[in-house]
Amino acid sequence: MKPLAGLRIADFTVHAAGPFCTHMLSQLGAEVIKVETALRPDIFRKSHAVYGRQGPATFDQVSSNKLSVRLNLKHPDGVALAKQLVAVSDVAAESFRAGVMDRLGLGYDVLKAVKEDIVMVSVSSSGQTGPESHFAGYAPLFGAWGGIGHLSGHADGPPVEMRHVMDHSVGMNAALATLAALHRRRRTGAGCHVDVAAREVASALVGDALTAASAGIRVDRMGNADLRRAPHGLYPSRDSDRWIAIAVSSDAEFRSLAAVIGHPELATDPRYATAASRHGNAAGLDGQISAWTSARTAEAATDLLQSAGIAAHVSWAASDIVSDPHMRARGSILDVAETGGAIRAAVGRVARFSSDDSPGITRGTPDLGGDEDYVYGELLGLSRARIDDLVADRAIY
Amino acid sequence: MTDTPLAGIRVIERATGAAAAQAGRLMCQMGAEVIMAEPPDGTPLRQEPPLLPGGTGALFAFLSAGKRSVICDPASDGFGPDMDRLLATADILIDDTPLRDRAALGLDRDRVARDHPGLVHLSVLPFGAHGPKADWRGEELTLIHSGGEGFLLPNGLSADLFPDRPPLKIAGHFAQMQGGTTAAMAALAALWSGQGQFVDVSVQDANVAVGAFAVQRLGDGSVEHRLTRSFKFGGVIECADGYVELLTLESRQWQGLVDLLGAQDWAADPDLADEVGRSARGAEINARIRAWARDWKVTDLVRAAQDRGVPMARYNTPEQVLDGAQENARAIFHPVKTEGGPVRVQSLPFRFGPEALPVGPAVPAPGADQSLLTRTDMRRATA
Repeated sequence: MKPLAGLRIADFTVHAAGPFCTHMLSQLGAEVIKVETALRPDIFRKSHAVYGRQGPATFDQVSSNKLSVRLNLKHPDGVALAKQLVAVSDVAAESFRAGVMDRLGLGYDVLKAVKEDIVMVSVSSSGQTGPESHFAGYAPLFGAWGGIGHLSGHADGPPVEMRHVMDHSVGMNAALATLAALHRRRRTGAGCHVDVAAREVASALVGDALTAASAGIRVDRMGNADLRRAPHGLYPSRDSDRWIAIAVSSDAEFRSLAAVIGHPELATDPRYATAASRHGNAAGLDGQISAWTSARTAEAATDLLQSAGIAAHVSWAASDIVSDPHMRARGSILDVAETGGAIRAAVGRVARFSSDDSPGITRGTPDLGGDEDYVYGELLGLSRARIDDLVADRAIY
Repeated sequence: MTDTPLAGIRVIERATGAAAAQAGRLMCQMGAEVIMAEPPDGTPLRQEPPLLPGGTGALFAFLSAGKRSVICDPASDGFGPDMDRLLATADILIDDTPLRDRAALGLDRDRVARDHPGLVHLSVLPFGAHGPKADWRGEELTLIHSGGEGFLLPNGLSADLFPDRPPLKIAGHFAQMQGGTTAAMAALAALWSGQGQFVDVSVQDANVAVGAFAVQRLGDGSVEHRLTRSFKFGGVIECADGYVELLTLESRQWQGLVDLLGAQDWAADPDLADEVGRSARGAEINARIRAWARDWKVTDLVRAAQDRGVPMARYNTPEQVLDGAQENARAIFHPVKTEGGPVRVQSLPFRFGPEALPVGPAVPAPGADQSLLTRTDMRRATA
C-alpha cells in the first residue's frame, strides 16, 4: 500500500506549481480530486501559442492519476458542492491569487467551518500577506524576485529566466508542507492554513547567497564555475552540441583525472597541486581536458571518468532520460497509457519505499469531469436526479 | 502558532552533501530535533565557500542553523554503538554515505532495518540506492545535467546573446536542493504510513521530476532545446538601471502591456490581437519592447506594469531580496549566531499560520551537543 493511501485532497489548483504539489501527493498514494470547469479550463489543459506550440501546454504529467470533476465556482450551488467535497477531504489545495478563494466564498474560515481540521494549502506568487501579495506571477517572475534569476547566467551576460523547474520546486515544497501539516493534525487534532510563497521558494534556493550577502559578502553570476572546485565545467565531445559536465572536488580526483586524460604529469604540476591553485589556473587545464573529451563520444568519456571516481555526466536531453535503463529500473520513468490507448513516457515516483514497490502513476489524464459519478454519486451521495439538475443548471459545468 | 508541525520528531543526519543536509534543514525548521552525526573535523559542508567571517561556510550556516551536532568518528570502534544509541531514539535517519561504504559502517539497509525496525531510513544519493548507476559520483554541476534542465539553459536573452556557448547551470545548489526537498517529503510520507522502512531518494530523480515538462513534451513529439525554448516574446528585458522579467500569458495581460507601452502604433496592430498572431511576430515584438524599455528605470517600470495587471518583476540582487518590502513585511529573514557574528537566514518558504517559522538561533560547533550521546531520556516520538 502506498504511504499516503487513505488521504483525500480536494484540488482547486491551476497552472503548474499547485497541480505539481497534488501530483506528488497523488504519486505517493493520496486520492486527488481535481476541480475544473468548462467555463475557464486550466490554462495548461488548453492550447497556448505563447509557448510556440498549438497543443495543450503540459497538462498530462501533472493530471495523471487524478480524478476530475466539473464545478462552477461562480454558481452558488457550485460553491455549496465545493464545500461538501471539502467536508469529506483531508486537504483542500488552491493556487489562485491571494484573496480569490475568499471572494469565491471558499476562504479558510469557511472551509474550517465545514471541516474543523481541514488542512488548506494555498500556493501563490508572493504569499497570502504583505504589500505585494496581489502581484501576478509565473515561474520566471518568482526567479526574478527571489534572486536566483540574477545569480544565474554568464558572468558577462544578463540574468537567466527560470522555467517550469521553478514552478515545480514550489509544488514540491507545497507537498512537503502539506504532509508536515497533516503530521501536526495527527498529533494535535488541529488543521491549519498553509501559505506557500513561490518567490520565497526561489530565494530559499539561493539562501546561502542571501546569508553571505547579509554578512557583506558579494555573490555574483559565475556561469558554470564553482567557488572551490576545478576543473569544473561543460566540455565538448566529438559530437555537436553534446556536452560533458565534469566536476573535480578533491586532489585525489584530480590525480585520477590527469591519468584518465593521458596527462599524468599534471598531477605533480605545482600549478595544480591544490584546489586553490587549480581554481586559479583552471583555464590552462580546460584546454587539455577539452582536447581529450573532443576526441570521444560524450558517453565514452563519461564512463571512463566515472570509472575513475570522477563526477561526470552527459548534459542530457529528455530523449536521453526516457530511455535510460537506470531510471526505468527505478520506476522514475515509466510508460502511461492514455484513455485513447496512446502510450507516453512519464515521470514516475520520486522516491522508492521498501514497503511498497507499485508504480507512481496508474492511469493517464482524466477527461474533464470524467469522475463525477464516483465523486458526486458515491462520495457525496447525490442522487442521479440531483446531479442531472445541477448539470442542467450549470452548477456542474 | 505555538506548535511546530514536526515537534517531537527526532532525526539523525549524516550529510556530506547539500541534498541530505537540506532534508535535515527542512525538518529542523519545522520543529524536528535534528542531530548531525559528524566526523571529528566536522562535515566537509562546513567549509563550502563562500566563507562567512569566522570561517563558517554560508551554505552550512543556511543549512544547519538550529541543528545539533555530535561527533561520531567513523574510524573509531565507538562509531557503531554511538550510532545505534542515536538511532534507537530516532524517527528518521538521513544518510548520504556512498552505497559501497555503508556496510563497513553498519549503515547498510538490511542492518539498519534489522536493528531499528521502526526507523525511517532515508537514503539520499546522487543516483539513488538502486539501479545500475547507484554507485555513480555526482556533484551539483553534473546532477543538474543528469536531470535535463541543464541542457535547456540558458534560454531567452542569454541564449540569444551567446548561442555558441555550452549549456549553463542554475546558480547555487539548485539540483541538490531539489533532492533534499524531495527527500524530506518522502520521509514524511513514510512516517505517515506508520511503517519503519528504507526510503531511496535520488537527486537525479528529483530533478527529472521538477523538469517533467521536458519529458512530457518529448512524448508529445517536441524535443526542447535551449535556443528555441524561449517564450515567443517577453522574458529578460534590460532597463536603464537593471533587468526586469516580463511575461504575458493571458490576453488581458497583453492589453495591459499595450496600455503600458503608450501610444505606440505597432502594438495596436489588429494582427496582434490574438495569441497566435502575437507569437508569430514574437521576435519583432521583443525587439520593440527591448528598445522601449531601455529608457525606463526598473522600479518605475515594474510599478507601472503591476498597476496594469502586467506580470513583471525586477531581477533582484541578493541585497535587494534582503531589503525587499514584501520579504520584510512577511519577516522571512531571521538573525542567526555564527562564530564570526550574526547573519540573516531565510525561514522556510511556507508557513502554517500568519507567522513565518522561526530559524534556529545558532550554527552549532562540531560536537556542541556531545552530551546527547549519553542522554538517558531519549525516546522515539512515534514509538
